[in-house]
Amino acid sequence: MENLGYLLAAYTIIWVIVFGYVFFMQRKQRRLQQQIDALRKSLDE
Amino acid sequence: MKGKHILRDNVLLGLSLALMIAALYMVFVYVPTEKHTGIVQRIFYFHVPVAWVAFLAFFITFIFSILYLWKREIKWDTIAHASAEVGVIFTTLVLITGPIWAKPVWGVWWTWDARLTTSLVLWLIYIAYLLVRSFATEPARGARFSAVIGIVGFIDVPIVFLTVNLWRTQHPTTMIFEDGLTTSMLMTLMVCIAAFTVLYVLLTVQSANLKSLETDVKLLRSTQAE
Amino acid sequence: MNTVFAKIFVIFWKDMLTELRTKEVVVSVLVFALLVVVIFNFAFGTRAGTVEMAAPGILWVALTFGGVLGFNRIFAVEKENLRLEGLMLCPVDRAVIYWGKLVGSFTFILAVAVVITPIFLVLFNLPLFLPRLALVIVLAIIGFSAVGTLFSAVAINTRARDIMLPILFLPVAVPVIIAAVKATALVLAGSSWGDMATWLQIMIAFDVIYLVVATLVFEFVVEE
Repeated sequence: MENLGYLLAAYTIIWVIVFGYVFFMQRKQRRLQQQIDALRKSLDE
Repeated sequence: MKGKHILRDNVLLGLSLALMIAALYMVFVYVPTEKHTGIVQRIFYFHVPVAWVAFLAFFITFIFSILYLWKREIKWDTIAHASAEVGVIFTTLVLITGPIWAKPVWGVWWTWDARLTTSLVLWLIYIAYLLVRSFATEPARGARFSAVIGIVGFIDVPIVFLTVNLWRTQHPTTMIFEDGLTTSMLMTLMVCIAAFTVLYVLLTVQSANLKSLETDVKLLRSTQAE
Repeated sequence: MNTVFAKIFVIFWKDMLTELRTKEVVVSVLVFALLVVVIFNFAFGTRAGTVEMAAPGILWVALTFGGVLGFNRIFAVEKENLRLEGLMLCPVDRAVIYWGKLVGSFTFILAVAVVITPIFLVLFNLPLFLPRLALVIVLAIIGFSAVGTLFSAVAINTRARDIMLPILFLPVAVPVIIAAVKATALVLAGSSWGDMATWLQIMIAFDVIYLVVATLVFEFVVEE
């Protein structure tokens, strides 16, 4: 099983970056949603 | 996610998950180890689809850039932008997995061969696309400028590929597979391409949604300021 | 048809006169290009033979980076004097403006090349009479100007205008740079036309494609 390290490295990087991006997007979405709700509330007043 | 598209988004997510699991199974369980290069060769099954998606993403950016300059509806620009963002991510993955695969197989991290070099130039053009947008003085200008880059840059990619190919013909071309692809390898590759294409759609849709949200926030902010 | 050429010439000539008055862009770029050649000589000159092999690359690095610096200045002057806005008010086809600027950029970088190349040939002990090198240079800088003019118009409307142009220009110009360096190396090695044909074809194709694309797309860059 030579070069197993390389195989694992490649797949790990792919998943880390893809999930990192998804996570980053989710977080941004939550923050934006909060801002929209806050703005909507202040506009209704 | 936008309320009206919950069904579409959930279907996408489910499909993407299912395909990815199938792909992982095929890559690690189903397909036999390649004789000459060993298990490291399995990187190929993800590296190639990721490269394909990176190119597809840029093609989508190209098409929607043209659409935006023609029709001027923000939604076209949002899709072009989202696709470019996802494209940068996938191109980065190509540039990382490529060398990880090359080192054990060919002994070098990097060769200036046509495919890798074109990926590098593609990456640089994407980055320029995103930078122009963020450095523009107003968002409308940013959209217009990056649309131009999206069009001009995409046209460059085949030219770069051909030129680098010709440039490298004096160096020995590195062979990917000595025996060609068996059916099981081909099938695994197909499943992986499908999995990553659906993942691309999922990520681009989510990214586009996010950008629409940002525009909404800006709109609300400016209404509030009045 | 006559008036189109006349308009292009007017735009070009106005730029020419402005530049001739101060000569600041051409002189500074010339000095820069010369410095590049000298510094790269030091960078590569540690072993005999390396510098000769690197010579074509050194020439084109000097012309590429000098060109980028110059293109930036060409449109920066417009912006500072608000001449671009004035030009936009004229009832003139945007493509005509592009071609007027294009001829200006081309002339500028041609002037730089005409001065730098003989100096370069002397410094590297190469033969001075090389008509084929002239053809290579002209074809390459047509490509540079086509892309550079378009991207300068984009870059000056951004916040980081000086760094934006190289970022936009260099990746797209890669095919021209590769072809120009290859063709130059072949000329210096005394190769035949046949060997050079592929590289010349690449440059010609690039020039034609980008002249057409830039002409079509320029109006989207300068619209207000």
